[in-house]
Amino acid sequence: MTPVYLQRSALDCALGASLEEAASNLLAGQQPRGDVFKLHEVQEPRRYLGASGPAGNLDERLDRCLAAVLDREPRALDDCLLIVASTSLDINELEALTRAQQGFAPEDSTHLDHLAAELRQRWGFACAFTLNTACTSAANGLLYGARLIAAGQYARVLVLSFETPSTIAMQGFGALGLTSPSGQYRPFHPERDGLLLGEAYATCLLSGEPGEAPLARLLGGFSACDTSSLTTTREDGSHIHWVMQQALRSAGCTAEQIALVKLHGTATGANDEAESNGMRLLYGERMPTLSLLKPWLGHTLGACGLSESLLLLKALQLGPLPGVSYASEAMLPFSAEPQSLAADSLLLANFFGFGGNNASLILQGCAQGDSA
Amino acid sequence: MTVIAASEIRGQTATSDKALKAALGQWLDSPPRRIDRLILQCLLAAAPLKPQVQPNCGLYLASAHPARANMGALLEAVCVQHKQPKPFEFVNSVSNAAGFYIAQQLGIEGPNLFIGAGEQVWAQLQALANLDLQDGLIEQALLLVCDERGDFSVQALLLEGPCERGASFAELSADIEVQRISL
Repeated sequence: MTPVYLQRSALDCALGASLEEAASNLLAGQQPRGDVFKLHEVQEPRRYLGASGPAGNLDERLDRCLAAVLDREPRALDDCLLIVASTSLDINELEALTRAQQGFAPEDSTHLDHLAAELRQRWGFACAFTLNTACTSAANGLLYGARLIAAGQYARVLVLSFETPSTIAMQGFGALGLTSPSGQYRPFHPERDGLLLGEAYATCLLSGEPGEAPLARLLGGFSACDTSSLTTTREDGSHIHWVMQQALRSAGCTAEQIALVKLHGTATGANDEAESNGMRLLYGERMPTLSLLKPWLGHTLGACGLSESLLLLKALQLGPLPGVSYASEAMLPFSAEPQSLAADSLLLANFFGFGGNNASLILQGCAQGDSA
Repeated sequence: MTVIAASEIRGQTATSDKALKAALGQWLDSPPRRIDRLILQCLLAAAPLKPQVQPNCGLYLASAHPARANMGALLEAVCVQHKQPKPFEFVNSVSNAAGFYIAQQLGIEGPNLFIGAGEQVWAQLQALANLDLQDGLIEQALLLVCDERGDFSVQALLLEGPCERGASFAELSADIEVQRISL
């Protein structure tokens, strides 16, 4: 694949209201506090990691996210495709409507593409669509957006990805027994007990040109559907292994060239087992540096492909990544010590989701201030 | 590019899920259980193309709306009755469940994307499929568009090779016989 730059980016998440703040807090080891909600019926408490930025309705938050990337260089967007990647879309508004009128009628349902269409009209994008492939939504937005640029379809693509604090998501993951009763988010820990959900608003402008301060280059990736189960991937890791291999091939690099793997790591029993097995199939016991970001952001579902990629890439520009406190007990060989990597390291990032959606991206960081 | 097969189902608002399940049973040996109306509709449009679908195929699905009844049940359970959602209703709502079941039933192993169906839906699906076809990741692409505003329709096209652009299902399927199901 022809490399495409992550030219400008913005993030509002549990770690900070800006990408720079979030990355600084990550490097400082400052854990997000989060809020507590109760699961309906059983009344058990669960933690939720809300975003740090100013409150507002969804339109205001999305406009603020876009402005953080686009206002620095006002320019017509008639060469730019908008991809809205999210599983929540306007669900919080529908939840509020249902509460207010104590019910939901079929005609209350909104068009799946209406946010993308409204943003296109308001901002003047050449075209726009909504992409929803569960927790690989943003990863697929980056991958297909970059490939549309490489194919000459658009000069620029803006990927906007977000997950809002949806009651349905909080209660739904709770009903599935996937949220952590202990409130500790410990992927690949032998006593892991589930995930914490997180809120995030992330955006990235993709271009064939580096711009003034690119964050990274997207070198390749691959996405496919494992049809063995709607909620889990094959536990032997074979599908994950195949997806990672295809991603490496698309980028023209080998597993040995990868300096860091950003794991999906949901801290659910089946997912971590499958990803561990996939990693062993690819690397055996000698693995590159491993990174976990969900303990810092929460699981931001459809936005994790962008929120985690941006946070990792910005942190790499700023300093050594924090170690994993339980490294000696973990299922994979994490480091307990901070890990220093060259800012231009090759990275493999995994994202898996319900619906059998598995995706891997190959990225190369750009040093801060590097416009070459 | 060649459009090698096409199908279209049409039904009415009053067409029940039970009727959709009965129709689907004529095409598939063991249809999945606990599926919503959107999954039923999309499966019914894809099933007639099963004999021509190869494993090395990508799936590019678009819908104008979620499964409204499923969404309503989730919202009322969680926001009005303060109950936990039924697991299968929740999973169907947050995953690309229709795409998953089509891939599972037709043996599709390639990329599987779901987009909101807007004004340029056919051009967008073709653009995404063309990337995978042109890069040799797949040999076939199955494109589906579901629309339910009152009465419903689902249109499906099976492509081999990168496609010349067409703006509509009618334009893209003009040269072949379309398998049509009316309910």
